[in-house]
Amino acid sequence: MKDGALSIAMVSDFFHPDVGGVESHIFMLSSNLIRKGHKVIVITHSHPPDRVGIRWLLPSLKVYHIPFPTIASSATLPNYFTFLPYFRTIIVREHINLIHAHASLSSLGHEAILHSHFFGVRTVFTDHSLFGFEDAASILTNKLLAAALKNVDAVICVSHTGRENTVLRGQLFEASEDNPSLSAVRPSVYTIPNSLVAEQFTPSPQPLPSDTINIVVISRLAYRKGIDLLVATAPRVCAAFPNVKFIVGGDGPKLNDLLQVRERHLLQERIELLGSIRHRDVRDVLIRGSIFLNTSLTESFGIAILEAACTGLYIVSTRVGGVPEILPEDMISFTDPDEDDLFWAISEAIQIISEGKHNPQDAHERVKGFYDWMQVAERTETVYRSVMQSKPIDLWARIQRTMSLGPFAGPIYTAILFVDCLFFMVLEWLMPREDVDHVHVHWEPEVFGKLVASMN
Amino acid sequence: MSHTTWKRVLWQRQPYPDNYIPPDSFLASLRRNPSFTPYTYWPLVLSCCPITQHLGTIFIFVAVFVRLQERSLDARLLLWISVACFLVGYLVWEVLDYSSPSRGPLTRSSLLKSSLLFFLTLMSLAPVLKTLTAATSSDSIWALSACQFLMNTLLADYGYAKSGPQRRLSSVLSMNAAISSSVVLASRLPDDLSVFSLVLFAVQLFALFPMLRHRFGAVPPILQVALTVSISALSFALTMSLSPFVAALTSAIYVTVNVVAPGILVWAQRYKKQAVPLYSFP
Repeated sequence: MKDGALSIAMVSDFFHPDVGGVESHIFMLSSNLIRKGHKVIVITHSHPPDRVGIRWLLPSLKVYHIPFPTIASSATLPNYFTFLPYFRTIIVREHINLIHAHASLSSLGHEAILHSHFFGVRTVFTDHSLFGFEDAASILTNKLLAAALKNVDAVICVSHTGRENTVLRGQLFEASEDNPSLSAVRPSVYTIPNSLVAEQFTPSPQPLPSDTINIVVISRLAYRKGIDLLVATAPRVCAAFPNVKFIVGGDGPKLNDLLQVRERHLLQERIELLGSIRHRDVRDVLIRGSIFLNTSLTESFGIAILEAACTGLYIVSTRVGGVPEILPEDMISFTDPDEDDLFWAISEAIQIISEGKHNPQDAHERVKGFYDWMQVAERTETVYRSVMQSKPIDLWARIQRTMSLGPFAGPIYTAILFVDCLFFMVLEWLMPREDVDHVHVHWEPEVFGKLVASMN
Repeated sequence: MSHTTWKRVLWQRQPYPDNYIPPDSFLASLRRNPSFTPYTYWPLVLSCCPITQHLGTIFIFVAVFVRLQERSLDARLLLWISVACFLVGYLVWEVLDYSSPSRGPLTRSSLLKSSLLFFLTLMSLAPVLKTLTAATSSDSIWALSACQFLMNTLLADYGYAKSGPQRRLSSVLSMNAAISSSVVLASRLPDDLSVFSLVLFAVQLFALFPMLRHRFGAVPPILQVALTVSISALSFALTMSLSPFVAALTSAIYVTVNVVAPGILVWAQRYKKQAVPLYSFP
């Protein structure tokens, strides 16, 4: 391994074979870090029956699957201690310097942040989503997040709005250096956007037929994605513009509402429902349309919007969360999340398209220049370097920080911290480090790639 | 540091480090308590009245039970009181129906039929109910009925019916808890007539009265307050002669629920911090 190269463990409940923004983010970031000469492994939970144990993915990414059952939407139960025996063995045998936890609902990630300091391993956390503050579920998960983030070395968020949200949820502020009576955001909170592989989202080479305009919606059909707005607006748009069709991809609890509205207004010909779409088929759906519609009520980054813009579609989106940050204003029509405004914005977009003011090839070329995974990896590497240079948090500071969580949660989490220390000492005695099987050789990405190619 | 100004965008690489936070714009769009209307004291007191009424009925019931068991109350008198309560309640129901008609599923004749049927069934079941818990010790019965009354209080629906006769699951559970509690209490009584009249009284208090109470949203506040005061005064009077300590406890509970608790809620609103960043819905 090169000098200065790090051994990094990505820890998250959400990874391949599940599909989603977090999953592909971890994969793309890992492979680009491997290209930069670092060693990267992924730790996630197993997907019985067949995805268990240790697997290798191209380009030489090693994945450990921990045999934990999941409770809901592929997250494991937060249990604080059970991960430690597995985690300790993996960290010791892989000579890990730094762990990078992903997603605020992944308890594996939170646990890894709790355990890492025993091994002198530094911690980075990436938050991928926005959450509210009001309902009981948010209050609970925000407390879990705040507890985990008290002792993390750096936090990365995917948008400026996401950073504001995470700072509030995770209580990432401390007394300011110039004026101790004021609190300031910790300097270790970064914004590094997501990215996309522009080559996978090229516009269609032949121009679209000009008599009909297709509006594409690709989204999970859930309340948070604003499907109610779509249900309310689609019939109005269909009535006002006889040459407009909707193509809706995705599945979810609101599918029935869409089916009903289609039935009621006799729009079977005009609203096409495709069901859930595999990620590799997304482009094939996107190139059929000229306008992409996003009705989300909350969105941290909106990778789907970026993919659509890269494929050359004109974007109509609600002005929520991090969406206003991801594209320049002339590529996107913003609307407030209400029916009339959305209708108006769609009309404006239809006019722009029918006058031929939007060129898909130009849009693709522009988006290609905006985002690049290698650049994301470099910026993440900068975070890693500054974390490795910073002073580790000692146990006493850790206890003080944990106690500052609050009069009720503070003592509970401090007790968890103590028990975790005891458990760690028991493990040290029970399974001495000398007995652990150390990994000395790792696949070279080129050799591994060639081997896989020769086997196919 | 470069002279270009920082922009809140991600698509442009800016000459600032990734952890740069502009001094003024961070959380500039945060709004505090945007959709927040504070509670005021007197309306809260008024909406606490149903809770006091409900607690009052429970204490009245327990006091009546103790009197029946000590044989200081004639079961026949209780029977007549129950019948009178039923007639008065029905009259009030009709008056409320006249002022704001409800689409109730029952006609008057079917109502009469089911009331009579229930009356006779209960009468024939009274000897069975009397020996229902003969093999159980009284201590267990007190504990059981206390728990069930607690559940009844916690799950009861204290709101007013807005539309339609649909009832929430929790209010059905609440009614069941109260009725089963009264059945096990009644099984401690010495004779069949007492068992019958106590269960009948329980049905009045825990099944029919909450239904009537749901429709009190329409009555003027002064009547609400009058009803609350009279129910709590009656329960106080009934418990006072049995045990002054319990009577004091009862009135302390009433004062806490109806006077102190709304005050605490109004005071605690100053700590409400509902932070909603702009453009995040809901």
